[in-house]
Amino acid sequence: MKLPELSLSPIQHRALSLIAVLTILPHGLHFSPQINLYLMLLMIWHLAGLRWHRFRPGRWSLVIATLGGIALVFSEYHTLIGHRAGVALLTVMFLLKVLEVRRRRDLTVTLYIAYFVVVTHFLFGQSIVLAIYLFALMIAATALLLESQRVTVSRHPADPLYRTLVMSLQAVPLALILFVVFPRISHPLWHIGMNSSAMTGMSDRVRPGMISELVASEEVAFRVRFDDTPPAPEQRYWRGLVIWDSDGETWYNRTGSPFWKQDNDAGIAQVHYEIFLEAHQHPWLYSLDLPLNSPPQAILTGDRQLLTRRPVNQPLNYRLVSSTEQRDRRISTSMRTRALALPDNITQRQRDLVEQWKQTSGTDRDLVQQVLNHFHDQPFVYTLTPPLYPDNPIDEFLFEGREGFCEHYATAFTQLMRLAGIPSRLILGYQGAEYNDLGDYFIIRQSDAHAWSEVWLAEQGWVRIDPTAAVAPERIRYSILTDETPPGSPVSFHIDRSGFIGRSLIQITHLLDNANVQWRRWVVGYSREHQFSLMRQFGFQRLTHLEWGIMIAGLIGVIMLVVALNLIRQGKNRPSQVMQSYERFCHNLARVGILRKPGEGPLDYARRASRARPDLSAPISRITSGYIQLRYGPDPKPELLENLQRDVRAFRPGRTRHRV
Amino acid sequence: MAPSLSQWLRPFQRHAHADAQGGVVIKPRSIYILPTRQGLLLALVILLMLVGSINYGSNLGHLATFFLGGLWLISILHTWRNLLGLRLQPYRVASVFAGDTAEFQVMVENPSQIPRYAIQIRHRKEQGERLDIPGSDQMMFTLPLATRRRGPFPLPRITLQSTYPLGLFRAWTYADMPLECLVYPKPAERGQPPITTAYQPSDQGDRGVGTDDFIGLRPFRSGDSIRHIDWKAYARQQGLMCKQFGGDRHLEVRLDWDLIAEQEAERRLSLLCRYVLQQEELGQAYSLTIPGVHIASGTGQSHMQRCLTALARHGLDHETA
Repeated sequence: MKLPELSLSPIQHRALSLIAVLTILPHGLHFSPQINLYLMLLMIWHLAGLRWHRFRPGRWSLVIATLGGIALVFSEYHTLIGHRAGVALLTVMFLLKVLEVRRRRDLTVTLYIAYFVVVTHFLFGQSIVLAIYLFALMIAATALLLESQRVTVSRHPADPLYRTLVMSLQAVPLALILFVVFPRISHPLWHIGMNSSAMTGMSDRVRPGMISELVASEEVAFRVRFDDTPPAPEQRYWRGLVIWDSDGETWYNRTGSPFWKQDNDAGIAQVHYEIFLEAHQHPWLYSLDLPLNSPPQAILTGDRQLLTRRPVNQPLNYRLVSSTEQRDRRISTSMRTRALALPDNITQRQRDLVEQWKQTSGTDRDLVQQVLNHFHDQPFVYTLTPPLYPDNPIDEFLFEGREGFCEHYATAFTQLMRLAGIPSRLILGYQGAEYNDLGDYFIIRQSDAHAWSEVWLAEQGWVRIDPTAAVAPERIRYSILTDETPPGSPVSFHIDRSGFIGRSLIQITHLLDNANVQWRRWVVGYSREHQFSLMRQFGFQRLTHLEWGIMIAGLIGVIMLVVALNLIRQGKNRPSQVMQSYERFCHNLARVGILRKPGEGPLDYARRASRARPDLSAPISRITSGYIQLRYGPDPKPELLENLQRDVRAFRPGRTRHRV
Repeated sequence: MAPSLSQWLRPFQRHAHADAQGGVVIKPRSIYILPTRQGLLLALVILLMLVGSINYGSNLGHLATFFLGGLWLISILHTWRNLLGLRLQPYRVASVFAGDTAEFQVMVENPSQIPRYAIQIRHRKEQGERLDIPGSDQMMFTLPLATRRRGPFPLPRITLQSTYPLGLFRAWTYADMPLECLVYPKPAERGQPPITTAYQPSDQGDRGVGTDDFIGLRPFRSGDSIRHIDWKAYARQQGLMCKQFGGDRHLEVRLDWDLIAEQEAERRLSLLCRYVLQQEELGQAYSLTIPGVHIASGTGQSHMQRCLTALARHGLDHETA
């Protein structure tokens, strides 16, 4: 079937509609209902226009719809720039363009916009599934583009898809090479609208109840791969934020972190590891207990926090060296003042309790132990669903409720230490880790969120104290199973990992998580550092811009050459043996002056040749009929080919004439 | 007229020469390739994607951008391969009168198993239709070219082009092929040839044209004498019929260069061309005499073609002979 030069076939129209819907679909998750409704109405309009021509949008209705779309996006976002408003606007414009498509030329431009919309999805998600979906969509769009370029219509819809897949497979090496070697820039070129979205995860403030909300989330916070032996489970404290100040209810940092040169770290046991951090929208990184160095993205502060310049809004990989035993001994006067500062809602019963402990203990160390014993011996309950302590959380928790989660214990403990004159600070991070044996790494989930304290002891320096461990020691060995905790019940710490199904489920979860980790590590989290270390492995130390350029061009050139040679090989006129024999026959006849005219059928040619050379009419008709049977006949027998080849070999028109 | 740049560059263009059969095979290195406007547009879109991906630090954005970039590059090779190995064979072209469109027919063979798509032949602005050629098949391409002057009109250097598969690149090749259209002079307006008739005995007796015996009816043509209309036939509702008379001599019209009352040679040829056509319409025998050529009296298709050919070639034979 042949098409008029410029129009689209119904099936092409339908394919375009499908591609448009699939392209827009994932954006529906974060567009407002109004924009989604508008997009839906446009799509209905488009489909109605395809079905009934009188609904086809005219020029003016399209102008009005465009202006309406711009107004709607503006009213939702109060701007048209920035990635959210920009993507919404682009999506509306894309669909309007789809409505406008009549001719094949429109189709081309529309598909280019579709490519662009596809790429914008990666601003909102980077999972494997989304990537597979979007790449499939790009291939489908390309297949439609390819189909629209030919004159006749493909016999089967899979035909253009197959061709596009072949081209895509040839494009993949180019894409991978460029992906690996194209220089990455660590900082954005400019900064539009990357304000943090609603997040689930840590906050930079600790309120009672904050972490227990977090613990219900099975989302992955980060993953860790150790170079050597991982530290023991009770050493797996993942330090994030150090909090110094309290207003009696909320703990937060009033001022910045102290900065000074670290103590000499030489001679202590070091743990080398790599962290694959998920975007968490905060300007800090997590480390195993005490970090000894800082990755290029962050700086190491005096209280051993890793702070970044900007919130971490992209998954990030970094290598670290930590120690689980190093204790910083230094404490400045201002630091000491800050670590002893008390809020103004300290009650008399708190002072009395601390005074009583002070009298019975000789050293600070003893006092710490006394507080921990208090948590252990008194009926303190460790629960995910503690009661509310509305007026004075620490006081009510210590003397009335006695039910709390880690942040209750940690804040109360820190405050009691300060009352006793021991400098202390609150640490926010994660504790524990789930081992993935398939990928040999650990997963730290939001449910591992934890808070603990660090106190400064004269002989030892800063020491980590986890008051929660005093209540429920199991807490520091295993993660909590959140699903099976009815509100108000004490937390069940025992995870049933026996049984085939339980084990298989864990295996499957680990397999999927491992795929995700590799994806995060090599694709989503691929960075400048990876690039440099990869280059070093190939022996390139420091390359100039020119050398980078030459390398990229060279690699692309090599791949293109390989593909080109492959294409030539495929396109080579490799006529079948039948064709070869027949062509030899024609060639022999041509040598005696009987040329086959272009477009002349074999029968006509044979007739003409026989007329010119009656002496040869028998072999000519034998060869011609053999050829026709082999080429056009159904299911030719193999001996036919042998006969044809023998006849053609024996066919020597030049020599026969001499003999006759 | 000063030659334009493209004319000046013409000898430097890589182009395929015809082989013994007049055909041309497209070789790898004779194919030119450049991005189309759409190809440049997509390149711009890809560049925008790259800037966005860099700005937002999106690695998947990079990957998608590079994938499209890879497709863009790979499509160069596929566009190139779409022309590679095709064989052009000049086929035929019918003679036309000057000012009419000559339709050059070129057979394009695809000797490979791989189908070729959206192939087009063109010369400058004049384009033929686009066609798909299945594997091991051939298609006839027609290139309509406007003619202006009489005489032999060789097929100019043609361009075979395609933008398949993605329309991002245009691959083209130049081919010179021996195919020539003979352009007859443009016929002048209708008129009476100068009367130089002579009656000669006919070998076939009554088959000639005369006024002696009624030999039959034929449909009325404008210019026929009203006196010859068969009004009875008209009354029988057979339409306007004209009575024909034959004689034992037939009428010969001599179309002679020297008898044309015009000085300008092309004008004379135009008039002679018109008279040839008129005589052929009337079915009256005619002879043609122009300087250097005399064609004896006759009628019929081949006679007409001989006459028209002589008119077309008049004064130009030293080039083609």
